[in-house]
Amino acid sequence: MGFIAESVRTALSLIFSADQDVLAAVRTSVGVASWSVLLAALFGIPIGLGVGVNQFPLKRVVIVVLNSLMAMPTVVLGLLVYGLVSRQGPLGGRGLLFTPNAMIIGQTLLAVPIVANYTLSAIKGADVRIVPTALTLGAGSLRSMMQLTREVRFGIMAAVIAGFGRVISEVGVAMMLGGNIRWYTRTMTTAIALETSKGEFAFGLALGIILMVVSFSINILLTFMQESYQP
Amino acid sequence: MKPPQYHLRGIRASYRANLALEVEELTIDSGRLHILAGPNGSGKSTLLNILAFLMKPSDGEVVFAGTQVDWQRKQLASLRKRVTLLHQHSFLFSGTVSANVAFGPRARGMTTKEDVRRAVNESLAMVGLDGFESRDARHLSGGEARRVALARALACKPEVLLLDEPLSHVDKESAQIIETLVLSLSGQGTTIVMSSHNEQFAQRTEGRVIRLLDGRVESMVEGNGKAPSRDLDGYSYAKL
Repeated sequence: MGFIAESVRTALSLIFSADQDVLAAVRTSVGVASWSVLLAALFGIPIGLGVGVNQFPLKRVVIVVLNSLMAMPTVVLGLLVYGLVSRQGPLGGRGLLFTPNAMIIGQTLLAVPIVANYTLSAIKGADVRIVPTALTLGAGSLRSMMQLTREVRFGIMAAVIAGFGRVISEVGVAMMLGGNIRWYTRTMTTAIALETSKGEFAFGLALGIILMVVSFSINILLTFMQESYQP
Repeated sequence: MKPPQYHLRGIRASYRANLALEVEELTIDSGRLHILAGPNGSGKSTLLNILAFLMKPSDGEVVFAGTQVDWQRKQLASLRKRVTLLHQHSFLFSGTVSANVAFGPRARGMTTKEDVRRAVNESLAMVGLDGFESRDARHLSGGEARRVALARALACKPEVLLLDEPLSHVDKESAQIIETLVLSLSGQGTTIVMSSHNEQFAQRTEGRVIRLLDGRVESMVEGNGKAPSRDLDGYSYAKL
């Protein structure tokens, strides 16, 4: 018990003294996750909208694939992207391996199915009268889609936040594609894994506390926004 | 001579395997009030959706103001700007009443804020909801919501106004306002097609009553009870 209490004290002191290693890991985590989820939103939201609104022959198959990709193990995804960006891979010449950009590619691929699926769920739950109403008021297809997106914006926001939560807390992609390089590609999760394995429990705990605070803050913000929207 | 607003020939429409509408021939005159009567499931809403270019029939052809409808995206976008359908259970977008009513004019190319504001104010005044501009559209009574939806349709200044059961589930005041508006717009030359269970309303108007049963046109009479007295543009009602 004394060990835990001592570790918590040390962790809090690391946080409040703005330890440079802790700050660097937080910066990298938040930065990479933000870019990843932004790119995932750019691809995932249109995919979710397209699948949700349109009828096409292989729609069920696409939905099953999107659902399955949500359960993709991060290390397997890391391995696949590693194959692409390593020296022998098709993107090897670009020097992406063990850079934040490689991590962004991997985490974007991780988040796209999540954002797409949550968006799809939001569309499925949307009022079926939205698009016909917009169309009969003279809107074209694009404007109708924009109106639909506007009506389900809180569902889409949930999709983006779920994607953010997934990428900021994952280890596999960050470790395999970032290489856990200090002050460069070391994220909160890879740092926790490394420092704990080295016996630096307090340092890991400090980062764990920050990771939880970031995740909880985002969820609290989402809940607050959704509740303030409800009639 | 002005072509009819719509001419439908050999129309069939189905929901999955169920045939919802089968119209051999039907003409909707330009600038007149037409009332679709008939029990639930008789095909009124399906017909209105086809007339609004929201549903493509599985068979048959539709001619709109002399133009053959090809159901291609480009033509549909242009045709939908001339027609507006007020659904039976109309949907109001989230946001203010003003934003809802402004949607149509903006979608139809009205760009200046002043013009849009004028269109919104005029339409709301027509339905007796002046001062409702900043109200939350989701916090209105059923009758008010229906009138806002009607104002939204009117703000589009459509050539054809299609109304699906506009008088059902509304309070007496709203029904009176809607009824007066329909008659007034019809008198001003707007083509109106409305479905209604209210046969008394039909009898009070000079409109034409098209009675549907089991997806087919059963009869067509003038609002005053007489059979149509003329053939328009060679389209014989006897064919119905």
